[in-house]
Amino acid sequence: MAFLTPLALLGGLLAVPIILLYMLRLRRREVVVSSTFLWQQVVRDSEANTPWQKLRRNLLLILQLLILALLVLALMRPFIIVPAVSAGQIELLLDASASMNATDTPDGITRFEAARAQALSMVDTLGAGDTMTVIRVSNVPEVLVPRTGDANLLRQAINAMQPGQAAADWVAAFTLAVADAAGAQDFNLVVVSDGGLGAAEGLPGVPGTVRYLPVGQSGDNLAITALSARALPGQPPQLFAQITNYGAQDAAVIFDLRVDGALHSAERLTVPAGSSLPVISTDLPADFQTVQAGLTLPAGAAVPDYLALDDRAWTVNSTGGERRVLLMSAGNLFLEQALRSLSGIEAFQGDPTRPLPAEAYDLYIFDGWLPADGVLPQGDLLFINPPQDTSLFKVGAESSETGAISVLSNDARTAFVDFGSVNILKFRPVTADWATPLVSAAGGALLLAGETDGRQAAILTFDLHDSDLPLQITWPILMANLMDWFTPRSAVNVPDGLHVGDSLSVRPPAGATQVRVTLPDGGVRDLPVERGTVVFADTNAPGLYRVDLLAGEQVLQSVAVAVNLFSPLESAIAPREQITLSGATIQPAAPDAVGQQEFWPLAALLALVVLLVEWWAYQWRMQAPTVFQPIFRRPKVIAR
Amino acid sequence: MTDETLFDEKTRRKMEQLTLVATRVRAGAMKGERRSSKRGTSIEFADYRDYVRGDDLRRLDWNIYARLERPFIKLLEDEEDLAVHLLLDVSSSMDWPREGVRDQNKLLYGQRLLAGLAHISLATQDRLTLAALTDAPIAQFGPSRGRGYTLAMFDFVGRLEAQGVTDLNAALRAYALRGGRPGLCFLMSDLLSPDGFSTGLNALLAKGYEVGIIHLLAPDEVDPPLGGDLRLVDVETGRAQEVTVDGGMRSLYIKRLHDWQDGIRADCAKRGVHYVPVVTDTPWEKVILGSLRRLGAVK
Repeated sequence: MAFLTPLALLGGLLAVPIILLYMLRLRRREVVVSSTFLWQQVVRDSEANTPWQKLRRNLLLILQLLILALLVLALMRPFIIVPAVSAGQIELLLDASASMNATDTPDGITRFEAARAQALSMVDTLGAGDTMTVIRVSNVPEVLVPRTGDANLLRQAINAMQPGQAAADWVAAFTLAVADAAGAQDFNLVVVSDGGLGAAEGLPGVPGTVRYLPVGQSGDNLAITALSARALPGQPPQLFAQITNYGAQDAAVIFDLRVDGALHSAERLTVPAGSSLPVISTDLPADFQTVQAGLTLPAGAAVPDYLALDDRAWTVNSTGGERRVLLMSAGNLFLEQALRSLSGIEAFQGDPTRPLPAEAYDLYIFDGWLPADGVLPQGDLLFINPPQDTSLFKVGAESSETGAISVLSNDARTAFVDFGSVNILKFRPVTADWATPLVSAAGGALLLAGETDGRQAAILTFDLHDSDLPLQITWPILMANLMDWFTPRSAVNVPDGLHVGDSLSVRPPAGATQVRVTLPDGGVRDLPVERGTVVFADTNAPGLYRVDLLAGEQVLQSVAVAVNLFSPLESAIAPREQITLSGATIQPAAPDAVGQQEFWPLAALLALVVLLVEWWAYQWRMQAPTVFQPIFRRPKVIAR
Repeated sequence: MTDETLFDEKTRRKMEQLTLVATRVRAGAMKGERRSSKRGTSIEFADYRDYVRGDDLRRLDWNIYARLERPFIKLLEDEEDLAVHLLLDVSSSMDWPREGVRDQNKLLYGQRLLAGLAHISLATQDRLTLAALTDAPIAQFGPSRGRGYTLAMFDFVGRLEAQGVTDLNAALRAYALRGGRPGLCFLMSDLLSPDGFSTGLNALLAKGYEVGIIHLLAPDEVDPPLGGDLRLVDVETGRAQEVTVDGGMRSLYIKRLHDWQDGIRADCAKRGVHYVPVVTDTPWEKVILGSLRRLGAVK
């Protein structure tokens, strides 16, 4: 046994004032009694019969000196040498990914709890000069405790840590850990995990010594690894699911589907070992909103399913939310054909001889036509060959300089658009400050687009009949691009759902002031609309998230978003016996380093116990008879 | 102190129905109200015996002579008085506790017992002597007989005060040697006398007294409410005893007290002395109506 702070021994000098105070304090209280006759005999008896009488007299002093000795011992921080996994500057990477929720440990606790216990035992054996950094490895790795030797701080952080439900980003975790290596003398990376480093295995040149503490012991897991529902126009929705058995034995499982919360179907399936089983369902109701798929082990199942996180999956119907488009044209077959071929569009034909209908549309297409009163409706606008000026633009003189056509690159609206083989007879250049020319010819812009007055507008400056554009493949592509730009299908455009931990981009419609996200556990997050896109990143649990777009208290749009694990790396929970990093294979670490185990808490606890004994002894000595001490032997002496 | 402060009228009436009883009746000098073992001149018939010459012919039973033609003398009970001695220890230690419940004061308690027994004694025409035992010359009341002395007796008892140190041996011995007719003697004391009381008791017994000891202790002497490092000062002698009183010490004290009382009880039983230990939180009349009755000292 050695001491970390032997100077604390000087605290033992406090014994001198304690003894002095005790000697000064011992002034007996004078009490008048009827007779000392019996007391004299009692004192004689006690001194004769009790050899420890003197000791008893000084019991409080002895106890106080013992308390002091124990406190001094605790302050000296005694320790013994014990074997440890690592020493020096330790970067502890504690895996908090979804697979760490598996319960295949001998005690039935999760892998994360087992990893936590290993981490705490490392803290217990931390030497005097050793430091540790704790990094929680999840989808967004974070440093919980920067480099410190404070065992209490480390214990608190490790105890407060919770496992995540997403896939781990090991590359980011190692990058965080290695950032601390500069100038370190004895740099050690300790990975407490079930393996599966993924892309991090290829990381070049991780400095220091890497040690691996594996957790988990089984790979038996059944998972839903894919779930999606699609509906082609005019066809019933179709659901596709994939169940994967990561274990080494064929496994029976009950696969159930819940449509909009109600049980739709349940069937018993057998998934072969180490392979996937596709499930296709075509009998979903056409107007369903959400589907939840679940796996349940049948009674008496021989193969366990240790990870519950991937036994549920969700998907939403992405066929709804069609955009309303009003076409005002004297008749344009190309336009009508293009609008019909695009999915998610509900097109209406307007009568150009009459004013605009009163009801609102998402998009107005004015083909060689403008409202007679010159008032443009609220909503997105597509002008094709506008006949005259409007409040948004001015129309110039007709031009036939249609050569040298150039297309703006790196713009979603002109993606895959090729005007190289398009011929245009003439056009009328348009001047609009707010618009960006997307396609330009020598004489001016052929296509402009931009945002003005809170809406989107695009202008095609030529008549489609004066060009061969509608005959080119570019035409439907251009229309599809423009439609997607004008009015995205939904404020949330994630038809395939998200993975746990992915951020959700919400593009609120005009007028929305708030985005309210309801989490699967019922929690609500309100996000103000300050920019064009609101990003929600708290998708840390799988399930259905409901996104409500609010204008004040009015719900403008409500969208469900499915968040699933769908991570083969996490669902394949078989613990790795070794990990590969920077081309090197790392075996599980043995406790071959030298650690120190302090036991000052034991001394402090003993001091507390002795303090309680001293308090009790004091009370016992000083206490007068009470109702709790019925020592009155009256029946023996009382006269009746 | 008046008799009302000692006890009330109701208790006094209860006392008047009682009689002190001595198991070894001593011959009285005067006719009393209790039956004597001697044959006497009362109207109570006792026995017959043969006539012998010289007998008083007035005591011959002529009816028997007429029937049996043999002369028999009719023996009648004699009645005598009892000498009752009531001794109260009035040392300083008896004036305890000085605070708290007044009724638990040993001196007051002893005064009430003294007055109660004296009242019974006067009511039954006994020859009563009261004495207060102290280091000073013994204060004495009586011998007196008859109810006419009741008020004087109460006055005497009421004026008793605790003072000084009492050497019980010396006081009892002095009382025994003082002369007077031996009889039933009750000693009321806390017996907290360093030299004990055995010699004095022997002197009384040798003189032919029938002795009863009423041992008075206050509740805080039976279970002392003390704790800590103390310097105990004897109220009677002024002597100090340093002691550290803790749970163990208190248990030891209580055990010592019991051993002491057991020793006294055994000693008394051996000598034919009545021993009545009393804690002063017991109603005093219960001592007379209960404990002394059970012992047969009162009926």
